[in-house]
Amino acid sequence: MTGPDWLTLSIILPLFGAVAAFILPRAAAGLGLTTVAATTLCVLMMADQVAALGAVTVPLGGWGAPLGIELRADGLSVAMLALTGMVGLLVSVSAIDAFAGDRTARQRQYFWPLWLLLLSGLNGVYLGTDLFNLYVMIEIIALAAVGLTVLGGTREALRAGLDYVYASILGALLFLLGVGLIYLQLGRLDFAGVIAAPPSAAMTAALAVMFVGLALKTALFPLHVWLPAAHANAAAPASALLSGLVVKGALYIVLRLAGYMPALTEDILTLIGLMGAGAVIWGGIQALRAERLKLLVAWSTVAQIGLIFVALARAGERGLSDSWKAAALLILAHGIAKAAMFLAAGRIKDEIGHDRIRDLDRSPIRPTLAQVTFALAAISLIGLPPSLGFIGKWQLMEGAMMAGYWHWVAITMIGTLFSVAYFSRVLAGFLRFDRVRGGPLAEHHGWSGADAAPLILASAAVLLGLAAGPIIAFIDLGAGGAMP
Amino acid sequence: MSDALLLFDLLLALAVVAIAAAALLVRDAFAMIVLFVVFGLLSALAWVRLAAPDVALAEAAIGTGLTGALLLKTLHHLRARGMAGWQPGAVAQRPVPRAVAWLNAGLALAVMAGLGVAILGSPLRVTGLEIAVAEAMPLSGVENPVTAVLLNFRAYDTLMEVVVLLSAVIVVWQIERGAGPAPAPSLGPVWQGFARLTLPAAALVGVYVLWAGAEAPGGAFQGGAMLAAIGLMMLLTGLYRPHPDHRGLARLLFVLGTVAFAATALLVAGGGRASFEYPPSYAKTLILLIEALVTISIAVTLTALFHGREPVALKGDLRHDP
Repeated sequence: MTGPDWLTLSIILPLFGAVAAFILPRAAAGLGLTTVAATTLCVLMMADQVAALGAVTVPLGGWGAPLGIELRADGLSVAMLALTGMVGLLVSVSAIDAFAGDRTARQRQYFWPLWLLLLSGLNGVYLGTDLFNLYVMIEIIALAAVGLTVLGGTREALRAGLDYVYASILGALLFLLGVGLIYLQLGRLDFAGVIAAPPSAAMTAALAVMFVGLALKTALFPLHVWLPAAHANAAAPASALLSGLVVKGALYIVLRLAGYMPALTEDILTLIGLMGAGAVIWGGIQALRAERLKLLVAWSTVAQIGLIFVALARAGERGLSDSWKAAALLILAHGIAKAAMFLAAGRIKDEIGHDRIRDLDRSPIRPTLAQVTFALAAISLIGLPPSLGFIGKWQLMEGAMMAGYWHWVAITMIGTLFSVAYFSRVLAGFLRFDRVRGGPLAEHHGWSGADAAPLILASAAVLLGLAAGPIIAFIDLGAGGAMP
Repeated sequence: MSDALLLFDLLLALAVVAIAAAALLVRDAFAMIVLFVVFGLLSALAWVRLAAPDVALAEAAIGTGLTGALLLKTLHHLRARGMAGWQPGAVAQRPVPRAVAWLNAGLALAVMAGLGVAILGSPLRVTGLEIAVAEAMPLSGVENPVTAVLLNFRAYDTLMEVVVLLSAVIVVWQIERGAGPAPAPSLGPVWQGFARLTLPAAALVGVYVLWAGAEAPGGAFQGGAMLAAIGLMMLLTGLYRPHPDHRGLARLLFVLGTVAFAATALLVAGGGRASFEYPPSYAKTLILLIEALVTISIAVTLTALFHGREPVALKGDLRHDP
């Protein structure tokens, strides 16, 4: 290792920030924003190191794996960290605005410690190389995420939060069971040991138990039931963090293990793909039926996560690396676009006063910038060029067509059609003016500085598609045979 | 192994399973909690038989003692709020659709089958990290291998577990607040005398368990749980009443362990050493220092979790107070 230890810092720094924001509630917002910015800076420095060296490993305590725990940053880790940093920074900026004022003083006081703990946990997952350590990290993520879910304190949010706790704890316990079973077989828990393990039925079963736990945490159909209510009832910045970042933690672990596990059989991959296909269709139908804007956005998360699993499954044993890249791109695209969309939905709800989809076109107030943000985010989520979502879907379909998996191509197309349909319900409401009631149309009402952060995010989701080449090349850094 | 011990182990294993089944099947909430506590104590015994005294101590103190107290408090809370006839069955008023029930059963069976395959397919004896631990012990600064793993070899995991506890108390404080008397069963004046007699002894035991952790089973989590028992006693007997003015101090005590642990991890780095790499000559001092501060944080945090809410004076709103 050369230079400062950016890996450890990017985990410990948010921890100190959380502590500071917790013991100094009045300065929480300033401390929080500063910490998130500093952590993002750490990630940028780390990106520089990784670009130069390929992969960076830090043996914590100097012991080295398998006795001790190692942190490892490679292209994919840094891409996830950068996603977290970028989305986190912009959500933080809009959180300052969303929680300003006396009425939300308590939410402001608790948002920052919880969000910074979440940041620490997420960064820890992306840098972790030890299965038990990943378990501890997803526990931190789960607790902080539940806290963020119930931040608003409404009855619905509390109820959704309780369901979320049950799902989350059950998922974590299943993961832990799998970890225990793997230790039983291998006597070690570091990635290198797990990769080198000879394939066996027992090993597959242990990984399957872990996968069920992770599927529960990332809300893969049919284990998604907790997600829509939890994401739809949280405060807007919390929803953005939950949908944009939190579900990606468990998703990343699946992606990471899938990349290392050539032992996965075609049958298992097909099963995962089928669950993903179920999510794409069921999530699409529910999003079409949703009556509230935030609920629609939450159901679209279920569908999009399904699509990511289709990407993971579609190439079978051949060409796993291609599907892996498609999945990684879709994760990045969804993280950015969904965070922007939830922030925009929150802004629209604040300005209009409700988020009933059928009454969107009756409002004389048109928060134009928030609506533009929503539309841009929808472009990336639907997968129109040149957005990042487009590149991800293109990679997915191209690979699937080359391998002759036409059914996965069909599923991707169906998912795209669904997303066009349900987002059109909202966009049509934005563009219709003939049903406006009460007062003259105040088209330019409801602009504010708070629209800037979500707009930047949504624009990034669209424009980053133009930089897809370098992004894919970066994700590839340190991947493959170079594992310790 | 002698036959008598084998018989004992068999009986113990049977009892653990039977009590677990009984706890799931019994309809009365209080009986359920009592069975859960018995289950925990028997599990602790099982851990002793498995030669894992550290786990046994943690199971008895946290998994059984504190969790049991939390469950009893929750039951009291439910009954105080007019759910006196609360029964586990009463919650599921809406019948679960048959299809959902079958789907759940199918999924649960699939997971169980997976567990079965994984356990039956595992080799009987795998050398874990015992050899690596034994080799590194002289450099760890302590003599108890469990403490060496928790506070040196895998100190990062332990730091993050302390953070889990901190996250929990932050979430609890965020959800629930109020300054009135806690809706816990209050014990009569006789108990105050009992508390005054037993508290010093409990404090002594807690500190001993912490100190002994360097060479023998024990350590921060177990010691902290025992000290937390003192906190519970003080809350229940009314010897201590949480007050809004105490919040600042409470916050400092919650974060004390995390800050000391994380700061040490960063400060020892440099000069060729990685984060968390304690210089062997100072390792014992650092470990004991971290453990002592973490113990304080754990004790205070667990007590606060039992109290269950941020002590804030609410304007004329004493919700949840009977």
